[in-house]
Amino acid sequence: MRIGKRLLAAVLSLLVPGLGHLLVGRVRRGLYIALGTGVLAGLTVFTAAQRARFPEEVYGLSAQVLLRLGLMAAFVWAALWLVYGALGRAVLRADAEAAELMAQLYTPGFVALGVLFFSLAGPRLLQTVLPADGERLLYGTILLIMGVLLALLWWWAARDAWQTAADAEPGWGGFIALVLVGTLVLGTRIVGIDLPKAIREYRETERILGDIFWPWRAAFDYEATELRATALVQAPCPPDATPPPVNQPQEGQPWVVVEPTCGDLSVRDSKGKLQYGTLLHIRGGGFVPGKIVKIKWENPIGNEFTPRGLGPTEIEVGPDGTFESELYIPDVVIPSFAQGPQIHKLHAVQPGALRFTGQLSREMKLALQAMLESIMIGLMATFTGMLWAVPLSFLAARNLTFTLRTSPQGLVGGVLGLVLGGAVGLQAAGRIADALGGLDAAPVSTAIVHFVLVTGAAVLGFRWLSRGLDALTQRMPPLVTDAVRYIGFALIGAALGWPLGLGYAHGILGIAWDPRDAAAIAPTLARVGAGLGALAWLGLARRWGQQGVVPIGQWIYTITRTILNVVRSIEPLIWGLVGVIWVGLGPFAGFIALTIHTVAALGKLYSEAIESIHPGPIEAVQSTGANRLQTIMFAVLPQVLPHFTAYSLYRWDINVRMSTVIGLVGGGGIGFLLIQWIRQVQYEHAGLAVWLIALTVSTLDFVSATIRKKIV
Amino acid sequence: MLKVEHLTKVYGTGTVALQDVSFEVEDGEFLVIIGLSGSGKSTLLRSINRLIEPTEGRILWNDVDITALDEAGLRRIRREIGFVFQEFNLVERLPVLTNVLTGRLGYVPPWWSLFYYFPAQDRRRALDALEQVGLADRAHHRASELSGGQKQRVGIARALVQNPKMLLADEPVASLDPVLAHSIMGYLERLNQERGITILCSLHYLDLVQRYATRVIGLRNGRLVFEGTGDDIRHMTDEEFKQIYGEEAQRLGG
Repeated sequence: MRIGKRLLAAVLSLLVPGLGHLLVGRVRRGLYIALGTGVLAGLTVFTAAQRARFPEEVYGLSAQVLLRLGLMAAFVWAALWLVYGALGRAVLRADAEAAELMAQLYTPGFVALGVLFFSLAGPRLLQTVLPADGERLLYGTILLIMGVLLALLWWWAARDAWQTAADAEPGWGGFIALVLVGTLVLGTRIVGIDLPKAIREYRETERILGDIFWPWRAAFDYEATELRATALVQAPCPPDATPPPVNQPQEGQPWVVVEPTCGDLSVRDSKGKLQYGTLLHIRGGGFVPGKIVKIKWENPIGNEFTPRGLGPTEIEVGPDGTFESELYIPDVVIPSFAQGPQIHKLHAVQPGALRFTGQLSREMKLALQAMLESIMIGLMATFTGMLWAVPLSFLAARNLTFTLRTSPQGLVGGVLGLVLGGAVGLQAAGRIADALGGLDAAPVSTAIVHFVLVTGAAVLGFRWLSRGLDALTQRMPPLVTDAVRYIGFALIGAALGWPLGLGYAHGILGIAWDPRDAAAIAPTLARVGAGLGALAWLGLARRWGQQGVVPIGQWIYTITRTILNVVRSIEPLIWGLVGVIWVGLGPFAGFIALTIHTVAALGKLYSEAIESIHPGPIEAVQSTGANRLQTIMFAVLPQVLPHFTAYSLYRWDINVRMSTVIGLVGGGGIGFLLIQWIRQVQYEHAGLAVWLIALTVSTLDFVSATIRKKIV
Repeated sequence: MLKVEHLTKVYGTGTVALQDVSFEVEDGEFLVIIGLSGSGKSTLLRSINRLIEPTEGRILWNDVDITALDEAGLRRIRREIGFVFQEFNLVERLPVLTNVLTGRLGYVPPWWSLFYYFPAQDRRRALDALEQVGLADRAHHRASELSGGQKQRVGIARALVQNPKMLLADEPVASLDPVLAHSIMGYLERLNQERGITILCSLHYLDLVQRYATRVIGLRNGRLVFEGTGDDIRHMTDEEFKQIYGEEAQRLGG
């Protein structure tokens, strides 16, 4: 019976890993095994399916090849071992002392011999057993390995079921090792790790990488010191032409003489074959002997090019500094409406050394400007972020916020005051903004007036009505207090539930439903939401009515922390996208992105600094009759200021680093230049940007670390 | 006159720190509260100016119910009641003078604090208070540079500039050596005798209690278990002693 049950468990787990465990009551263990095996098997199937998507990447490793490899390795190993063993025995017989030495060196010696053999003969041997593209056997190998691993895993599950059925508690080691190895092996395929490719293609990128790692030639301007002589040629040559005069050789400077100075252009016929025009005889002098002179042609509208297939264009200068050559007049297309004589130029150019001017190149100047822009983005974002983060951090600090509490009646009054105050503030702000000229004429004043008046009136409304209603109801009979609480809470609940109902209709149902159907049901759901909200809040009214205190500080803390955490978990690069959509390409977008992230990050850091201060001074200052503002100014700020400064510096450091890449999404600064240059394949210039970024970031890192150390 | 009526404090964790404590303090008394650590002395003192919100009971200060006050009322009452702490609770990074000036915060308009502004009169008063505790020359040093005894004198100066009618002192000498302890207690005694400031002070050392107290109350596990005078302490029986300090306590030198 017992054996039977164990056998059954083992067989079941062999069919579906973990199933046998369920049978013997080891549910959790069985689920873990099923999950692990299932995930690995699923990944293997996924990887195998990927193969079909990349048919050109099929490099099979057949079992046959593997067998050949194995046989070869075994054969070579056996041969080496035999030879080495015979050698050892020979030494042993000869000399006891040598035998001791031999015993010590036996294993390392064998390994060394093996390495020597394989490095000499290995490649040749491997070629004989591997298919042509031997290095890229990865794919088939991986599937083969996975097959073996999965088989082992199945066997392990069965064995585990067999053991656990007998109430044993086997370890997880084998299972974890198998799943881990399998995942890593599959990982190489999913990530597309291809070592041969990386090694082979490195050589081709060496030059580009060199440009990036040492781009400093591109940072400066160079003057080309070249010798140049020019002769004029008229073509085509109408009968009434007065051709340009023939040049005369001139002593002491480069010269070129072309004859004749008037002739016909070469013409490409309808088949694309070139009909030669007039042959020009070219003589030149005054150049550096033994070096090359290049012949260039300049058409009447000033485009210079090297004429191909019309005669030599690179001529070696003779020992006396002269050269001679011939060239057919090139096939320059002269539009039919061109007027006047068509004068071309023939240049004889001898390139000389490039002369270092000491001037920064245009790109270097651009990069420096953009770097400054980046540093400024970081600086501005840090400062603006600090301004917003400080007040937010007070709300997100447990030790300050949790002391905020109110009576239920106070909450009702407060919410009433919040709504009324907000409405009054909105009205007033609207009037003032209109007087200022409205949103279009005075956007900033309008926004500031709205922000100040609406938040100010809402906060004041909250304070006054909260205290007022609290004080009022304390003088009333309990019945009135209860009525105020229940009615007020029901209204708050309804007001919160209404938009939730609407949101559910449009946002959740609207996903699968026809939007019109969702819109039709929305009013009903809003009412249901309001009703449910009112009911829930009536329950809260009962509970808090008994306690007499509403932990409003806890809510503020939780809400502020949640918002900060969500905003912080979104990367600045993504906020950069938001910024670019909002205000368009440029540094302003980057500034907005970094500011948003900085507010959230510093808000959290600051609030944690506040939470870690000594509570004693707060107590002391409070006991003198100080109110909340005074307590913060005298007991909290002096304690947290060093931490705030350190965190702000640290954030500045981060922001400058981020501002160098925020340009990648269009946020201005040096990242913007970098991505442009990379896309234009100007790797030397991109290298300049990379260097400037690295220098700036490491300098700032050092500076901010030094200052931080001084402060804290 | 201070009346404490049926004061009970239950912390959020369920710990009962004070249970139905009632007593009265006449103006000008030097009341010492004794009891073991955790017996509720700190909670009692902090409840009187509502640094800790009492759960039940009333505290009447000159017939004003402190437990029922709103924020503004509490502010007015707190500035009349000085508080001296065992760990001094100075703001270490601020100058000594500013620490003393925080005692005036209950009197000045709150928004002045945005600029750390105090009127010249208050600054003079603070310097006077420092003079009285013998630290005028340290006014512009950082509080963190002072020794323990000096810090406590700053703490007393801070309470002094409040112009208090009552002083609450939570084990003001527990962190100091015996010589300093007498010097600090001497300051408190002088305030009590020369200015008639009511003093409520919790103490550990019974010799200090005998020396300074005009009246003594004892707490044990949050209950009032002893009421008497300083002389009563001197002549306390072992039984009374054990009632306050527990069965296992040993009297030394008594």
